[in-house]
Amino acid sequence: MKFALIGNPSVGKSLIFNQLTGLGVEVSNYPGTTVELQRGNTCFQREMIELVDLPGIYSLDGESGEEALVRRFLEQQDTDVVIAVLSATRLERNLYLLLQVAEYGLPMVVVLNMVDEAAKQGLEIDPGPIGDLLGVEVILTAASQGKNIDRIIPAALAATRPVKVEVPYDHHIEAAIRSLGKISAADRKESIRALQGFGENPDLLEAAQTIAEEIESRHRMTVAQIIAANRHNFAHQIAGLTIKEKTLHQKTDLDGILTRVIPGIPILIGILLGMLLVVFVVGSFLEELIVELFDIFLLQPFLALGLPPIVDALGTALILALQAGLGIAFPYVFLFYIIISVLEDSGYMTRAAFLADNAMHRVGMHGGAVIPLTLAFGCNVPAIMSVRLLHSRRERIIASFLVTMVPCSARTVIIAGIVAGFVGIGAAFSVYAIVFALIVLTGLVLSRITPGEQFGMIMEMVPLRRPDTRLVMRKAWMRLSEFLFIAMPLLLVGSVVLGLLEFFGIMAIFEGFVEPYTMALLGLPGYSATALIFGILRKEMAFETLAILAGTADLGAVLSSLQLYIFAVVTVLFIPCLATITVLLREVGSRITLAVTIYTVALGLFIGGLMYRILA
Amino acid sequence: MLPSTLEDYLEAIFTIAGDGGRSVGSQEVVAALGTEEAAAGATVASLVREGYLEQLADDTVRLTEKGLAVASRVARKHRVLQCFLTEMLGVDADAADKEACTLEHGISDETIDRLSSYMDSAPPGHAGRCPACEICTLERETPDEAIDRSSMSDLRRPPGRARHCRGRDACTLLDCKEGDTVRVAMIRGPRRNRRLLDLGIFPGEIVQIRRKLPNHSVVVRVKGCDIAISPEIAMSIIVESCP
Repeated sequence: MKFALIGNPSVGKSLIFNQLTGLGVEVSNYPGTTVELQRGNTCFQREMIELVDLPGIYSLDGESGEEALVRRFLEQQDTDVVIAVLSATRLERNLYLLLQVAEYGLPMVVVLNMVDEAAKQGLEIDPGPIGDLLGVEVILTAASQGKNIDRIIPAALAATRPVKVEVPYDHHIEAAIRSLGKISAADRKESIRALQGFGENPDLLEAAQTIAEEIESRHRMTVAQIIAANRHNFAHQIAGLTIKEKTLHQKTDLDGILTRVIPGIPILIGILLGMLLVVFVVGSFLEELIVELFDIFLLQPFLALGLPPIVDALGTALILALQAGLGIAFPYVFLFYIIISVLEDSGYMTRAAFLADNAMHRVGMHGGAVIPLTLAFGCNVPAIMSVRLLHSRRERIIASFLVTMVPCSARTVIIAGIVAGFVGIGAAFSVYAIVFALIVLTGLVLSRITPGEQFGMIMEMVPLRRPDTRLVMRKAWMRLSEFLFIAMPLLLVGSVVLGLLEFFGIMAIFEGFVEPYTMALLGLPGYSATALIFGILRKEMAFETLAILAGTADLGAVLSSLQLYIFAVVTVLFIPCLATITVLLREVGSRITLAVTIYTVALGLFIGGLMYRILA
Repeated sequence: MLPSTLEDYLEAIFTIAGDGGRSVGSQEVVAALGTEEAAAGATVASLVREGYLEQLADDTVRLTEKGLAVASRVARKHRVLQCFLTEMLGVDADAADKEACTLEHGISDETIDRLSSYMDSAPPGHAGRCPACEICTLERETPDEAIDRSSMSDLRRPPGRARHCRGRDACTLLDCKEGDTVRVAMIRGPRRNRRLLDLGIFPGEIVQIRRKLPNHSVVVRVKGCDIAISPEIAMSIIVESCP
């Protein structure tokens, strides 16, 4: 058996999917979280059931990538039952999609989620009318509390009859459906789709187009507008029957504060700066603690053993790597992920997008671009993936450039660990200031030279939610475990290789070779070049490699403040990490990836060189 | 049907003459069309021979009744096409003017009528006036009340800019204040921005303006959901006050 979850964005599909399958699918409170099909399995009474979580969409007739994906999925009838998830708090708009899905005539179960929130708003939901109209089972759930989720699978197993619904369309449209049915034997759904220009059959499309033009000239509205209006009006009627009583509770409206220029924009800036500050202060405190514990309980006892030189060198490298890795992972990366998860789940991101819409227009994108740019503070990889929520290739190209320049948590480690740690917290913020200035400049230039069309923003402001502590921690942990289990081994292996190369004197040869160049260009010792190169694998490795090569975690003792500052600036700007390059290739293609890579390398070396000339 | 050059001459004379009645010197025709004097002389002469123009004593010409009929029809086609290109398709005003000049000769009267009625898709209560564009108001005038160049050049403004709002109708979303409740009258460029439709913003729907920033980004509430909209899209949504 195969069931598919379908619904509007932010109605709790992914949460229900997680609860049904026990898999970790990312849940966020903004449109576009699920961009691909998520598949998972669950067992019910010894029967294997495959569940598919479809991306959240507003319509089956839209042009976006997710909408096309879901449309294809339904057309292939690749599922036994459709589980339509609706939010009881935004029922009318959700019913619009439900009616479209129902027209596909697959067996269906309707899940009215978030009844707890609806109850708080004073809405009383009667599942009867929807059930009678569509002939399906309607389940009231509250996924955040796990209420009634267990009823979904049995209901889906019991649903075998194809759902049948007839939206009452305008009489001209109804006439068109009848004539198209006579001409090409198309059914109701096919005719409606053909009238809007969708479908495979060229004869049907041509006939539909002629009729559509006739209707449009009479109605002075496009056929798509008429059909959408009919569906919305039908949805309005059903919603009216379903929502029994409306005792309006006047809620305190947070949007009154969040979406005004004052104090909205100061709050937005405060949140971003506060996020960095918390990570810096708390992160560096925790990091020191971890580093000290390692020194006392691992490094010193190990050195006291007096092992043969090669074992000693390798062991030291390994311990240093572990020390730097864990010192990085928990304090900085984990903290960042927690804060970003809170921002995502609360729904604040769409408010930020609204406030920043105008500023983003200046750099050639719309407000939605705030979401990838903020995500990029955590990690550039998911940020690049979310660039898809921008409509045009032009916007995606600009966003890819800017996102790769945003200092991710790994680069924050470098800024915090090297600059804040050894130079000063003011200097650390100046690195951010430089990077942000460069991002704005790059955006201004790119918006002038990138070809293509610019689209405006039409974005639903999802309801604000109080982020659930459990969900936030689970999400942050999921992202952190990716770091621990994928990045840490890489860090350890890299460190051992490095230790070996160092031991046999190969590093010394390489460094002797590059030192004249790095000294002349950036005023940095040769081993910093090695650190930069390892930084391509993972950004945080640059810091770590530098510590190993310098032979001490106390970098202030071997390098001057200026050298550390320049090293940090160059590393932060220099080349996206390998993982970012990989997703860039997938999302925007090899040419843009190459351009981004060359641009960031050139920019890093140029700015580093410039600062060396000015400050030295 | 006349060749397009001849139609161009009649249209030019019609436009220069303003009300269509004044006589026009050959120099003015040459200046308006940017042709050579000799060629213009010959063409004008042939138009006089065929009875579209009337040769006057002081070396000027005037449109005959026959000429006026052709000229005003071509001029109307030009206006309708230009209105369609700029207002519906968002083509740049100058480019639309040039393109309208080419298209006006090939297009049939029937199509122009349909195009014109398609464009004024304003719902009843609007006296059938295309709310977005003053060309359509001019459209309602009799051919006698012809348009002079100054009002034509008015139309070269980019769509939606500096167009003040008369009363509470014929406004775009951008003209509304925070807290206003309005009805969507029409959406310019209806084939773009499909998502507006899917989120419930379609002609006839009532929306409430929840927030309007000084930089013109707006949030509207429709069907119980808040939708954030960029200024350039809000500008294409034409609204009227609620009854």
